[in-house]
Amino acid sequence: MPAEPGPPGIRCEGIAKRFEGPAGTLEAVAPLDLDFAGGRTTALVGPSGCGKSTLLRMIAGLEAPSAGTVRIGGETPAEVRTRAGLAVGFQDPSLLPWRTVQGNVALALKLARRRADPKAIERLLTLVGLEGFGTTRPGALSGGMRQRAAIARCLVTEPELLLLDEPFGAVDELTRRQLAHDLPRLWEARGTTTLFVTHSVTEAVLISDRVLVLSPRPARVVADIPVTLERPRAEGVELTPAFAELAEAVSAALARGAAEAGPKGLAAQ
Amino acid sequence: MSTAESLPALRRLPALGAPFAAGLVLILLWEGLARLPGAEVLLAGPWDVALWLRENAGLMGRALAVTGAEAAAGFVLGNLAAVALALLAFALPRAERLIAALALLVFCLPLVATGPILRVLYGPGPGPQITLAALAVYYTTFVPLLVGLRAAPATWFDMVASYGRGHVAALIHVRLFAALPYLVAGLQIAAPAAFLGAMVGEFTGAERGMGVLTIRALRALDVEATWALATVAALVSIAVYAAIGRAGRRLLNAPPPVLLAPPSAARGPSPGRLLLRAGLAGAVALALWWGAMEAFDLNRFFAKRPGDVWAFLVTRPEAGAHRAELFGALGETLALAVPGYLAGLALGAALAVGLTLAPRAASLAMPVAVTLRAVPIVTTAPLIVLLMGRGPAGTIALVAVMIFFPVFVACLHGLARAPGQVLDVFDSYAAGPVQRLLHAQLPAMLPAFFASARMSLPAAMLAVTVVEWLATGRGVGALMALSASLSDYAMLWSAVVVVALATVAGHALLGAAEGRVLARYAGEQLR
Ligand SMILES: Nc1ncnc2c1ncn2[C@@H]1O[C@H](COP(=O)(O)OP(=O)(O)OP(=O)(O)O)[C@@H](O)[C@H]1O
Ligand SMILES: [Mg+2]
Repeated sequence: MPAEPGPPGIRCEGIAKRFEGPAGTLEAVAPLDLDFAGGRTTALVGPSGCGKSTLLRMIAGLEAPSAGTVRIGGETPAEVRTRAGLAVGFQDPSLLPWRTVQGNVALALKLARRRADPKAIERLLTLVGLEGFGTTRPGALSGGMRQRAAIARCLVTEPELLLLDEPFGAVDELTRRQLAHDLPRLWEARGTTTLFVTHSVTEAVLISDRVLVLSPRPARVVADIPVTLERPRAEGVELTPAFAELAEAVSAALARGAAEAGPKGLAAQ
Repeated sequence: MSTAESLPALRRLPALGAPFAAGLVLILLWEGLARLPGAEVLLAGPWDVALWLRENAGLMGRALAVTGAEAAAGFVLGNLAAVALALLAFALPRAERLIAALALLVFCLPLVATGPILRVLYGPGPGPQITLAALAVYYTTFVPLLVGLRAAPATWFDMVASYGRGHVAALIHVRLFAALPYLVAGLQIAAPAAFLGAMVGEFTGAERGMGVLTIRALRALDVEATWALATVAALVSIAVYAAIGRAGRRLLNAPPPVLLAPPSAARGPSPGRLLLRAGLAGAVALALWWGAMEAFDLNRFFAKRPGDVWAFLVTRPEAGAHRAELFGALGETLALAVPGYLAGLALGAALAVGLTLAPRAASLAMPVAVTLRAVPIVTTAPLIVLLMGRGPAGTIALVAVMIFFPVFVACLHGLARAPGQVLDVFDSYAAGPVQRLLHAQLPAMLPAFFASARMSLPAAMLAVTVVEWLATGRGVGALMALSASLSDYAMLWSAVVVVALATVAGHALLGAAEGRVLARYAGEQLR
């Protein structure tokens, strides 16, 4: 199918994932219909183990859905990947330990069959707060620094679709806020379609145009909350009543999802 | 890859300090022993060895050059074969078991008998020594490499796939690099093994080299020459081992892992399936054997085919006598090899465990043991025979020493691999060292213990047959020597087949025991 012009939207029809294990079948994602508008940032929040990573991996085509289809701007995930049109920020930074930070970022370009541009890499590293660490190996970085290097690797190929799985998990609060501020500007300017998994309600509201709240496993959509705050987000927006209201709505939806899942609650995961 | 992190004790030591100090102590002890009254008939001290070496520098230099060149050629060829085999097994996952089984079978061939056969097949020249050196190294590189090619976390491959690239890119950008530390570990073990293989090749009838000098010295009861030769062989092996380790550390920015082999297959397949697989591997091995002999159109007198061995052991009228002779000799050999092997295993594991309870001693013992592991023990066989006589004690001791070092080193590394966070949890409950050992460290040690036990099985057979060949005149090693000198090639080939099969059977037995024990005490190690 031909690609549509502009930033690609994502259309998931009835995608579901079941894992066959020794203890029987585990339903990670129940059949879901999802649409993500092109050029927008969507945050996915939900309890641990509800299937967020699995959903992201199916959209990237790294995991075959047990049922249903994924289309990215009309193309299959495989087609998009083949022209390096998407980038995935994995939950574990998955940097190659024998390459330097620069080398890891450059590898993305190499895999995408593009020319490495040392200047651009250096700029990105500065943006994620890793200036001066270009020639360091991941083993000598902190967990948060590794995650930032992984983010730089995702951004360097200028993908149309960015799939980030808890990219700031191990980053300290201050840097996290800084990144949550700076990075969206970058991908907004490029019109990147972004899906963003996070456990932080504040971060979800701060970064996204829309928050999808998922239920405990198997994931269903509990709430679909549009974030109407002005873009780019103003300094101190977290302190406004509108922000607090949105965050409150997300938290309430999370609690509702957990309650609906019933008393099995955590034990079910 | 986290060996450096898991061995803080090792890292804290100045790299050479401990082995150097230990070496000095050993040398002093050795000199002291040699100066005991009456010791001169058995023991030449370092001073005498040095004097002998000075007087015979030219002779020794030439012999070392010959043996070193053979070992180097075998090292290169064997490791190239290992890399090719590992890549082949990796590329054809369906054939992997078959390739691994054949590789094991060839590794289990008794070098002592393979040597004379190769000598008649090749004719004069260094061919047999080089082949034996290659045979001695390829398996210990092949196995870790195959592990290394898979030793990357799944998300690295997802990362490559997320840019739309496939298996080839994953191989080039991820697997080959992830396998490098394992390759270095294999190469490191291979260096002394190649030297050993070359010397064993020379034992079995070369014209020049250190193996030839060793045999001459032993026949002449030349104590100084025997000790000098063993010393040079040990020093060269240690030096090459250390040099490869150093180059590896430079290359990898971390010490190479001491991984010997993966745990054998988890809850194994049914016995029927196993038999089927073994049968398939056996059939392919027979076909390859027969095919190679026919392809080169080798003389039936010395290039026996599978049918000849079958006739010799089963269908000919004298077959019963042949069997009685061969199995009688094998029985004698096993009666020494098994106790020696078990003693080596027990000592290695027990000392490693004992040392964990005394971590300071462990940090000292580790570098020394790692260094001594590089000594090609079999080259010291004549010494042990000199020291302990030609009775069973000497042979058992040699086998035990041969097994001790690899098992000890593997166990120490296994014990150190208990994840730091897990140990921290134990500490947070103020659990004593014994509890830590039982619940965290022993389960981490078991896989390494079994892996080293399996890998050193052929080494045990090699040790025992070399001593029998060179010294005691009993058992299957002596039978091989006799058959070689009488040109009784049917017996020689039969001995090769029977010993190899017995070793493979022992390997399978260990694998089964390993599966049971690991399933019970270290379930997470089986995947
Ligand atoms: N490869 C797999 N095989 C079997 N089960 C799996 C696999 N991957 C995930 N699961 C199961 O699917 C469920 C969802 O996993 P997933 O990783 O998608 O959760 P998640 O929402 O990302 O959780 P977290 O927030 O903790 O990262 C879990 O119960 C997990 O055990
Ligand atoms: Mg996840």
